Amino acid sequence: MSFIHFIELLLIAGIMVAVGIPLFGKLPKTRPFSEVDPVEEAFKHLLVRKEEVLLAIKELEADLQTDKVSNEDYESLRNKLEGEAMAILEKIDTLEKDKRKSGKSSAKNLLLA
Amino acid sequence: MNDIGEFTLMVALATALYGTVAYVMSARGNRIDLYLSADKIPLITWACVMISSIALWKALFTNDFSLQYVYAYSNIELDYFYKFSSFWGGQKGSLLFWTLLLSTYTLVVHFQNRKKSLIVVPYAMAVLLGVTVFFLFLLNFSTNPFERIPLPPADGRGLNPLLQNYWMVIHPPTLYLGYVGFTVPFAYAMAGLITKSLDDSWIRLTRKWTVVSWFFLCMGNLFGASWAYVELGWGGYWAWDPVENAAFMPLIIATAYLHSVMIQEKKDMMKVWNMSLVLLTFVMTIFGTFITRSGLIQSVHTFDEATLGYYFLGFLFFIIAVCSVMIVWRLPLLKSKNELDSFLSREASFLFNNLLLLGIGFATFWGTIFPIISEAVRGIKITVGPPFYNQVNVPIGLALLALIGIGPVIAWRRATWSNLKKNFHKPVAVALVGGAVLYPILPLSNRSEIYTFIAFILCMFVTSSILLEFFKGTMARSQSHEETTVGALGSMIWHNKRRYGGYVVHIGVVMIYAGIAASQSYGTHIEKRMKIGDTIEISDYMLRYEKIAAVQATSVKTRIIAQLAVEKDGRRIWTARPEKEFYKGQTQPVSEVDVRSTLASDLYVILADFSEDDSATIKVYYNPMVSWLWMGGWVIALGTMVCAWPDRLEQRRRLERLKRQEIVFSPAQE
Repeated sequence: MSFIHFIELLLIAGIMVAVGIPLFGKLPKTRPFSEVDPVEEAFKHLLVRKEEVLLAIKELEADLQTDKVSNEDYESLRNKLEGEAMAILEKIDTLEKDKRKSGKSSAKNLLLA
Repeated sequence: MNDIGEFTLMVALATALYGTVAYVMSARGNRIDLYLSADKIPLITWACVMISSIALWKALFTNDFSLQYVYAYSNIELDYFYKFSSFWGGQKGSLLFWTLLLSTYTLVVHFQNRKKSLIVVPYAMAVLLGVTVFFLFLLNFSTNPFERIPLPPADGRGLNPLLQNYWMVIHPPTLYLGYVGFTVPFAYAMAGLITKSLDDSWIRLTRKWTVVSWFFLCMGNLFGASWAYVELGWGGYWAWDPVENAAFMPLIIATAYLHSVMIQEKKDMMKVWNMSLVLLTFVMTIFGTFITRSGLIQSVHTFDEATLGYYFLGFLFFIIAVCSVMIVWRLPLLKSKNELDSFLSREASFLFNNLLLLGIGFATFWGTIFPIISEAVRGIKITVGPPFYNQVNVPIGLALLALIGIGPVIAWRRATWSNLKKNFHKPVAVALVGGAVLYPILPLSNRSEIYTFIAFILCMFVTSSILLEFFKGTMARSQSHEETTVGALGSMIWHNKRRYGGYVVHIGVVMIYAGIAASQSYGTHIEKRMKIGDTIEISDYMLRYEKIAAVQATSVKTRIIAQLAVEKDGRRIWTARPEKEFYKGQTQPVSEVDVRSTLASDLYVILADFSEDDSATIKVYYNPMVSWLWMGGWVIALGTMVCAWPDRLEQRRRLERLKRQEIVFSPAQE
């Protein structure tokens, strides 16, 4: 056996050990990934939407300051955005309360509704 | 070392294949053992590919001509600088380099996400490793860089002289960093489709990857243009060559995505569109690779042994099929309930911008593949040249330029005509005054010159609209936060990096437009057979032919250097030394142009031919504003840096979101 072959064999053995240990060793019976929970996904999405709507209100204010929107448009868009924000916050609150009270099933119903 | 390099390439294929399968199985079965096992693969694969790469570099540096690749792309006399770059000078080496970059990106994604328990991660890793498997398969079974020559020759054939230029050391890696980088957003998008995680999270995970890949692709295109300009010796920098188009198309589609994704973030709409653009960008990178390596087209950029067409074509169809099926399958989840508030809004301007960008992308795609289709269907070889691309893309490009100026002054969600008038009058006034000043100066005798005139007016409109946006924003912040003007400008940019970084990028784009417009329309050239002492005049310059000399640069390279004194207003301002270089073993000499570059214009001198009686044919180009292109590139780099700078506010928001999510959804409550 040449030196090169020895090195190659060593490399394969090293890789087999590194990759094989988790397969044959003792591991805690944990689940590595949380399943995609539609309720959790929706909750996550609502949190992001909340931030985006708040950001949009800030941008609207900047647009007013730099004369890009008229006062009337500002008022109507702001009311619309605040309405969106309120609706999102209500959904988040209800989802949180519902989740705390009775777990996923009714939260799912809420989302479906 | 060659044996080791070849061996590790095979090991890398086996490990990447195992990793792909193990990641998918670990995600499907939620198995920790398989996940921990797969978790070792990105590092092992990267290490194996790196060892192979080091082996090839070593062979190049030590003149190991027993390797067919080293024989074909290097020789003893080759400078170390170019020995390093000949790694990607040929097909086999460039594929290995591509794989090295891909495995490095995969490793970075792995380290970024190894502690996250997101279900999309193993699928994204599987996609990345799956693409790596394809390239490793080619390297092992079709285009092995470690292929031996039974009787090694004493010296190699050397690197193509056209590639012995510093831009060729920088241009391909930059382009590849962009090309390969788009695999990451593609992998996350596919993972999102598989796991039904189709909210904004995959966009947030890939935003910086997209920006950085876009930047590298953009700079790669510009560096390629620089190389063509100084090395190919035809006075231009872009010829709508199919391979240039291949690098241009993903850039255009990625640009469309970078804009439309903002609408998804703000309005929670256009999910199908954005998903399609991400997937299409990756498809275009593979299409570009197919064009370069299929042998279907002739170009200075294609590889000599372009034989991989069928593999890439198969891979391309496979990806298109998978992407189409996945999008159709997940269509119900990608539908959006929201609509645009008004067609007079920034969102709408982004939508038009997308349509125009796709228009340019499609025209370029059609022009690129039409000769192939024509030859396949009718057996007639047709060349689609610059007139077609200019006729279609220039008007669309001008409309796009106008939109770059409209974007900053139009409000998100809804704008009104009265506010538009109020915001537009200053940029429009600047553009009109500028146009009035330029009108008597610039010639307007043909369509190209009229387009250039319009382009200049639009450039002024866009620049003033962006500067006005900076000014107004600074003033507003200065008043509301009681800051100094400089402080307000700094904090405004700092708190809105993406927006203002984007504006800086747009300034760079405007500079590129101006450079292209001026150099394409107002450039002139002259060619003259000259004897010693003869003069040639172009624009304000007079060139006097002084002498010609032969210099033996190395044992394989002879340089013929002509010397011309360049005078302006009777004063000598520069000495031009264009060359012809003769390489041993090469039939054609290579022109080395000499360029005097200023902000206003380039004087570009070529030694086209020479005779034993010391007479020479000299070609001189006067190219206005070419340097604006390269400066525009640096401004884009600056803007991208601002955009991609880590955002603490975004990180804080993300952490707050996660914390809240954990409180509500922690397992203890179930």
